[in-house]
Amino acid sequence: MNSARLIALTGLCLACRLVSQTTGNRTVTLTLPVVTLMDVEPAGTISLNYAAPSEAGNALTVPPANTTKWINYTSAILPGGATRRITASINQLIPGTDIRIQAAAASGSGGGTLGVPSGPVILTTAAQTLISGIGGAFTGNGANNGHRLTISIAVSTYANFTARTNTPVVIVYTITE
Amino acid sequence: MEAQRTLTVGGTNWVVSVPPITEAGNNYSGTYESAANEILLTATIPLLLGTGKVSMHYEANPAWNPGLILSARRTGNGTSPCTTCTITGGTTYTTIPLTTDVELFRITAVLALASYTNIPIQLQLSGVSVTIPAATYSSRIVFTISAL
Repeated sequence: MNSARLIALTGLCLACRLVSQTTGNRTVTLTLPVVTLMDVEPAGTISLNYAAPSEAGNALTVPPANTTKWINYTSAILPGGATRRITASINQLIPGTDIRIQAAAASGSGGGTLGVPSGPVILTTAAQTLISGIGGAFTGNGANNGHRLTISIAVSTYANFTARTNTPVVIVYTITE
Repeated sequence: MEAQRTLTVGGTNWVVSVPPITEAGNNYSGTYESAANEILLTATIPLLLGTGKVSMHYEANPAWNPGLILSARRTGNGTSPCTTCTITGGTTYTTIPLTTDVELFRITAVLALASYTNIPIQLQLSGVSVTIPAATYSSRIVFTISAL
């Protein structure tokens, strides 16, 4: 075999070796967006009515607290992003009455970095923090998932009381950073 | 010329489509599957070598989250002119590990060159959750053919 043929054969074998591949790859790509969803379940209004005393000199009877409402949320935050909080406010004050609200610790089918409830809050027209420290989390959907709310009314100042009927008060919940 | 096993990876890169969450309180469904033939492998085993296995692992490309679990399975045999050769294993989902290879399936050549083309591979992604930070994640699944 002359040297030219040997070089050619060597080159051919080297080429065969180079084109024979034993590995390969494909990529998987996934984009997870920021998610900020919150609602109160079940929908609908609640009624809290004082009862008039039947005996002169007695105070009004305060209605029992309502515990039918639950805050549900889904939160996905950026890596290292700020946690979220939920605030509550009302659209109007009722003279002589405090409207109080408190969120319980999350329960139900949720997971992740769920929020931590603040203590009881007397609602005003300014937003106040109800739950804080919400990270990447979901509470589960519907009643019995998330943070149960305890909403009550109490007399703050009898002197400011006036008789009134069907005074709608809107509680606005906001999830924010 | 040295005979050796060969593997060609075809098909498409998988861009996982995750439906948005529309109801507060819900999480993602968590598990998603690619098309049954998302990846197409072509493997050959020279007669002299007799057998071979196809293994896989994944690498972050560049960012991945360990909570996201990748799996793969073989959804068919592909096509082969060799009637006496066999392709076995990998028909149920196997979790794809990071860096370290795990066997997906093996091929045995019997008195012939074993050549299987377009072996369909389906991918599964699980662990998708809002508890994983919002970002774009990408990984590279590496398939390798080697001796048993």
